[in-house]
Amino acid sequence: MKLQNKLTLFNTSSKLVIVILFVLLLPKLIENINKTYTDNRLRKQRDKFLQIVKERGISNYIQNGESYGSYLPLHEDFISLDIDTANEWLDTIKNDRRVFTDDKDTLEYRILSRNFRVNKKKYLLEIGRSVSTISDTSSPLQSIALQVLLGMICLTILADFFYSNYVLKPLDKIIKTKLIGHKFPNFGVYKKVRTTTSDFQYLDESIHQMIKTIESTFQKEREFISNASHELMTPISILQSKIENMFDQEDVSDDVKVRLLEMQRILNRLKSITKTLLLISQIENEQFIKEDTVNAAELLHEVYDEISIRLQSKNLTMDIAVPPNIALEGINKFLMFNLFFNLINNAIKYNKESGLIAVNGYMHEGSFVVEITDTGIGIAEEQLPLIFNRFKKFKQSLQQESFGLGLPIVKSIADFHNIRIDVTSQLNKGTTFKLTFPNAA
Amino acid sequence: MNVLIVEDEKSLAKELEIFLTNGNYLCEICYDGKSASQKIGVNLYDFILIDLGLPDYEGLDLLKEAKKNNPEAACIILTARAEVYDRIKGLDLGADDYLPKPFSMLELQSRMQAITRRKFGLKHTTLMLGEFSIDLNDRSITHNGTQINAITKKEFDLIAYLILHKNRTLTRPQLSEHIWGSVVNDDYDSNYIDVHIKNIRKKLGVYAPADWLETVRGLGYKIKI
Repeated sequence: MKLQNKLTLFNTSSKLVIVILFVLLLPKLIENINKTYTDNRLRKQRDKFLQIVKERGISNYIQNGESYGSYLPLHEDFISLDIDTANEWLDTIKNDRRVFTDDKDTLEYRILSRNFRVNKKKYLLEIGRSVSTISDTSSPLQSIALQVLLGMICLTILADFFYSNYVLKPLDKIIKTKLIGHKFPNFGVYKKVRTTTSDFQYLDESIHQMIKTIESTFQKEREFISNASHELMTPISILQSKIENMFDQEDVSDDVKVRLLEMQRILNRLKSITKTLLLISQIENEQFIKEDTVNAAELLHEVYDEISIRLQSKNLTMDIAVPPNIALEGINKFLMFNLFFNLINNAIKYNKESGLIAVNGYMHEGSFVVEITDTGIGIAEEQLPLIFNRFKKFKQSLQQESFGLGLPIVKSIADFHNIRIDVTSQLNKGTTFKLTFPNAA
Repeated sequence: MNVLIVEDEKSLAKELEIFLTNGNYLCEICYDGKSASQKIGVNLYDFILIDLGLPDYEGLDLLKEAKKNNPEAACIILTARAEVYDRIKGLDLGADDYLPKPFSMLELQSRMQAITRRKFGLKHTTLMLGEFSIDLNDRSITHNGTQINAITKKEFDLIAYLILHKNRTLTRPQLSEHIWGSVVNDDYDSNYIDVHIKNIRKKLGVYAPADWLETVRGLGYKIKI
């Protein structure tokens, strides 16, 4: 999941949890607030009532020992005054039930009780407010709060989404310009990605450092290849010229010459391996220039001219069907020649007597495709992933005089030119190498 | 012809000297760039073979000096360095040829002869082999005035190489190096040379026996003139 989506999702869910908690706690909160409010109100009413009693006298309410009571028809509030007989002093607020004599209605009230003394007589004042009146605001409040808060969450999700999108933009840019936009590693001029987020600045600089390290490694590798090839090629060169000179010496018998020839063969093998390995390193180190434009059909016919002699030994037939007007641009001709040469050479080596080799070229979805199909011994399914490994030789190919570097050369040249290789094969039926050239557009 | 060999690898320089002396060249050897630079400044040569990997001297600088002081000399670069750019640079600076090490001395000799032919404009290098007349410049083989077109480019290359090194047995590795030297190849031992020779004999045999093209048993082939 994308970081941006993760952040938004986390923000949303955490807010949602908090809001749900809040809404669930809301009745308790409201109850508390209402209680405090009601209690305050009851106390104020008490004080006011006592003030009135003080000013007008108790006889205004109680005469002849009859108690006084007052309430509205719906019994939401009541007030009562009675002569008190109890001894203790009261000044409490608590919930209690009261029955109304007129309609036998029983309701729960929050009741303030207070006794006081006037004219040496003790009275009890009770002021009540029905509990249902107190709590009936809580449920609408709860639903309003829920709606308002959900709305607010939606707004913050949007805000989060757009902000994280904005904040994460430099990351996208770093990845696109530094890592995947160009061929990695991009040794071009370092261009700082503009961002105020220090983490991204850090990332950008780290990638730059890494590229610099890779670049210096490449440079070292290049020097190594140059030195190694000098160190390896010079002794081979000396041996080769010594053997050649010995061939010309008159006092060397034919027997010795046959042995010299054997040495020459082995030296040639060493030379081929060294040259091939160096070539692969040079390609992987990008030491070749890709500036040639070559006609595909012509190149394949050049390869054919070079290789046709090898078809004879197995009586093979080779067909080239490539459109005449296809130009391969931005390639290295020498390497491309070697790529085709080695693929076709393989098709010859692993073919059967009187077999076929078909080279087909065509355009597919804007890309040029070349298929090289042989009717040879094929490659087992489990060996297919290994065929491009250096010095890998399979049972079927052991009798061949090769050292297992043909396909690795093909692979490195193809990679260098961004050519995709797909291999399909059936044992004892044949193999097809499919080269897909990068889209010209 | 005078040849200056500039090669720090003494053993290789000696072999080159032996080989070229056998081919009637007069050789001088320099093992370092400094003495080579002095010799180039004083003497005149027909060929200067320059190893690019000299320890004390930039080989390409030596090439520049040679072009300045010895404008008549043909310069051939010999190098074991794998730098692709060296080749382009060397040829840009006026080198007449470029041979990457390890090279066959036969190849070197054939390049030197090609340069000589170019330089002195040898017009017709036609020679008779049995009943066949072979023109190395036009790359054609004729029999009693009839041009034989069946011979392919590769086959002619083989014949020409054998003629160039006439009376010398050339081994299969030497011949394949000349024919397929530029291809980076997976095979280290191929008998395709035999197929070529068989084809040449078959194609020429239609006209007359090509017994001048000899098989040297167990060793290779040679053209006796």
